[in-house]
Amino acid sequence: MDHTSIRFTWTYAISQLRLKYRFTALGVVWNLLEPLLYLGVLSVVFSYVNRMTLSDYAVFLFSALVPWRYFEKVVSGCTDAIVQGDWLLKQVPASPFSLPLARWIVASAEFGFSFAAVALVLALVKDRWTVHVLVVPLAAVPWAMTALGVGLCCATLFTFFRDVRPLVQIGLMLAFFSAPILFTPHLFDQGSVQARLLAWHPLTYLAALFQKPIHDGAWPAPIDWTVAFAAAAASMALGVASVRWARPRFYFYL
Amino acid sequence: MHARVFDLQDVSVSFRRNAIEARSLKYALASWLRGQPRPAFAALSGVSLSIAPGERLGIIGRNGAGKSTLLRVLARVITPQRGRVAVDPARRIVPLLELGVGFHPDLSGAENCRLAGALLGLPRARVDARLDGIVRFAGIDGFVHEPVKHLSSGMYARLAFALAFDVEPDVLLVDEVFGVGDEFFMEKCLARVDALVAGGITSVFVSHNLDFLGTRCSRFVWLDRGRLVMDGDPATVARAYRERRGVFED
Repeated sequence: MDHTSIRFTWTYAISQLRLKYRFTALGVVWNLLEPLLYLGVLSVVFSYVNRMTLSDYAVFLFSALVPWRYFEKVVSGCTDAIVQGDWLLKQVPASPFSLPLARWIVASAEFGFSFAAVALVLALVKDRWTVHVLVVPLAAVPWAMTALGVGLCCATLFTFFRDVRPLVQIGLMLAFFSAPILFTPHLFDQGSVQARLLAWHPLTYLAALFQKPIHDGAWPAPIDWTVAFAAAAASMALGVASVRWARPRFYFYL
Repeated sequence: MHARVFDLQDVSVSFRRNAIEARSLKYALASWLRGQPRPAFAALSGVSLSIAPGERLGIIGRNGAGKSTLLRVLARVITPQRGRVAVDPARRIVPLLELGVGFHPDLSGAENCRLAGALLGLPRARVDARLDGIVRFAGIDGFVHEPVKHLSSGMYARLAFALAFDVEPDVLLVDEVFGVGDEFFMEKCLARVDALVAGGITSVFVSHNLDFLGTRCSRFVWLDRGRLVMDGDPATVARAYRERRGVFED
């Protein structure tokens, strides 16, 4: 991407943010209400399943649910970004990266707001916050990279095959329910099939980057950082390569 | 600056037929398993063309001859499947391929000007400074903050023209868009085009109106069924095109 494309992407993302909240009654407040409603409903049910107190479980759930919702938003938003960008790609020689990138910027801004706002609310229910929360901005980096990489792959696939959207949604649903976001990994006995499966799940490590500093009051382990950044680098490499490979072909499928 | 603005060598572009069905994973897998070749339509076949700085090229041909495809190749919107396209990167190319220069339907006229300006490499401050002039030229003062999807096609075209002319293009690519907008605005547009052309910009026009092209172009290219069949001075090419009623036989 050259300087012009980067400036266009930024201008487009800002205009999309303005457009999104221009005609909404609740505006940016929705970014606070949506995760709070989600957290409230899920906490009531799953605190019982996880044998935790409601307030403790709310903090645990918040720590990985908010980044997961961000991941989900980026992937869903990026999926149709190139197809919906036909108004641009069929008229001017714009970079196809600009469209998913703009959606990623919008989702990242909303994530930042949601996270900060919900954290303020949960500060009232959590007994003690530790210095470990300072690592959270760094923990967001592999989430953002993985989301963008997966989003770019989905955007490429969706341009060629318009019937892949249900597959993307099923994939996201499976990833969510199989990852330790709603439940703690300690729920399963060590050596059990579930525990072994969780050890192979990249989201286990990505989630730990938020759960450990926010809920457990501990630093994420080196294995958490290693797997999370490896997943981020692999998905980014795959996503960028897929868009680059498909770039000369996009016009014919829009 | 290069000696040539555009240099096309043996360029071929083809479109898949049954494109709607082909955009399905189910269809793709089924035709792959059956080993079915996908039918294609050749929009351009082996086109070679060079355009020098300051040239005013008119592309003529019947419907489906490949004129718009060629213009999109020049605009770098389409990447050909075969051949080589060299474009002088130092020149600001402004394509007017359809109505709008990359306008988002949900954004307002002012926002679209900023967006298209960014795409054309203009800083926001410069677009903002010239926005009044653009709006005045387009004559849409009361509607500049409306989403462009609510504008009439004439107003939409006015804004696109006003912006395209204001960014001081080095190369203007125009695809049959002068039919939109009222007579008086078009007169104003054509006067601006003529001023730009007289100023030495390179221009490529696609039109079925040979008289319009004849008064503005220094060179004609005739396309038929995706092939470049004649390239020369406007009077000679236009005469041959009319005599053969646009159909070229080998």
